[in-house]
Amino acid sequence: MIRKFGVACLAAVILFQADTAQAAEKGLMLRAGNLMAQPFIDATKGDAVAANQPVTILERRGGWVNVDAGGKRGWVRLLNVRLEPPGGLVAPVKGKGKPGGSPLSIFQTNSTKQTATTGIKGVNDIDEATIRNASVNYVELDRLETIDVTADQARSYATRNKLKEQQLAYLKKGKGK
Amino acid sequence: MIRHRIGLLAAAAAGLSLALAAPAQAQFPDLGKVIGGAKSVQKMGESFRKISEPEEIKVGRDLAGIVLGAAPLTRNPAQQAYVNRVGRWLALHSERPDLPWKFGVVDSSSVNAFSMPGGYVLITRGLLEQMRSESELAGVLGHEIAHVVQKHQLGALQGSLRNAAVGDMNQYFNSGGGIKSVFTTALVNAGKDLFTRGLSEGDEFEADRMGVVIAARSGYSPYGLAGVLQTFSAAPEDKGSALMNKTHPSPVARIERLDGAMGSQLDKVAGVEDLPGFAAIRGRKKP
Repeated sequence: MIRKFGVACLAAVILFQADTAQAAEKGLMLRAGNLMAQPFIDATKGDAVAANQPVTILERRGGWVNVDAGGKRGWVRLLNVRLEPPGGLVAPVKGKGKPGGSPLSIFQTNSTKQTATTGIKGVNDIDEATIRNASVNYVELDRLETIDVTADQARSYATRNKLKEQQLAYLKKGKGK
Repeated sequence: MIRHRIGLLAAAAAGLSLALAAPAQAQFPDLGKVIGGAKSVQKMGESFRKISEPEEIKVGRDLAGIVLGAAPLTRNPAQQAYVNRVGRWLALHSERPDLPWKFGVVDSSSVNAFSMPGGYVLITRGLLEQMRSESELAGVLGHEIAHVVQKHQLGALQGSLRNAAVGDMNQYFNSGGGIKSVFTTALVNAGKDLFTRGLSEGDEFEADRMGVVIAARSGYSPYGLAGVLQTFSAAPEDKGSALMNKTHPSPVARIERLDGAMGSQLDKVAGVEDLPGFAAIRGRKKP
């Protein structure tokens, strides 16, 4: 019994570690800013963070992420951080990249086109070749017709889960670029 | 004579827009020649965007069948129902709430999502497994719904379809083949072009801007799509993401555009980040 409990605890620890490892994503600042004390635009400004500064994401909350930037912690906007590819980023190839973008938008992921095409084959890959070779699957289309839900079923789901409707206009294009 | 020619051109545009309606084409036996002489691609594009809703649904169904020909639906009724409930709820907050929306998860480890005219939306299991929360699902589905609302696919299809249709129609007129099957072939080929070449960058950026609002209108956090784009920004250029990478602007470019459009104006919108049922239907990433 005790042994069983021990195994369960070990499993729990492993699961917790896996989740923690998954949560600690590595990123890079897309633009310079400040580490904020709270996840609000008008919160107290902390230390400055430079563009390209490596950060570790500790927590996500709405449009904000709590980061560790070289030992200093604070909140930065989600849209000011990109994640770092496993192989890291390398300097841009001369002549590539758009002028006016952020410094990181012209960086390349540290992999080559060759690795892009020699990856392990996945399950039912959807790529150019499989799309080109595909025939219209009417059997699956008939299945698709049977799994949809009614508007009322969707409304019930929203009510049950307290999804509150908002009146919002679409966003304009935004400045620059 | 001039009047007659203008009339024929107008009829050609209208005829093409009703390309699935065989009787309309049968009235214009020289339609292929007339379409071939038409100079305004834009005009043709606009005409195709104005096909009737039943025709749009029929086109979308055939195009959805191509994706399903590459990968079938997952055999997971709970997952399919869940995605349909979220998707339908989101669609109710678009400008086309009454389309017969159909959402599906296809059993592919590739990372991608597809939307077709008439309200067909398919996402891959590989994409669903990468999501952190239901608001990320809402962001992706909102983006796809926006493409349908704006009829982006119909505009893009026209470019491929115009040339294909002329060729196939000529073949039909010369060989006497059945118009339905010939046009279906042209449409399927145009659909394959669409899936492998993608929409314009402008269409993608617009769908991002609209998608976050559709999600927020529906009670979700407006930042779900941003989270997915952030995940994409770390995706290695592996085979599973190759088609999506080819057919979309870079994730960093999309993040930057979205940042420019959103600013902090949606920060005060209270929205749900996640719901308890999502983790169960998302599934775990398979090696």
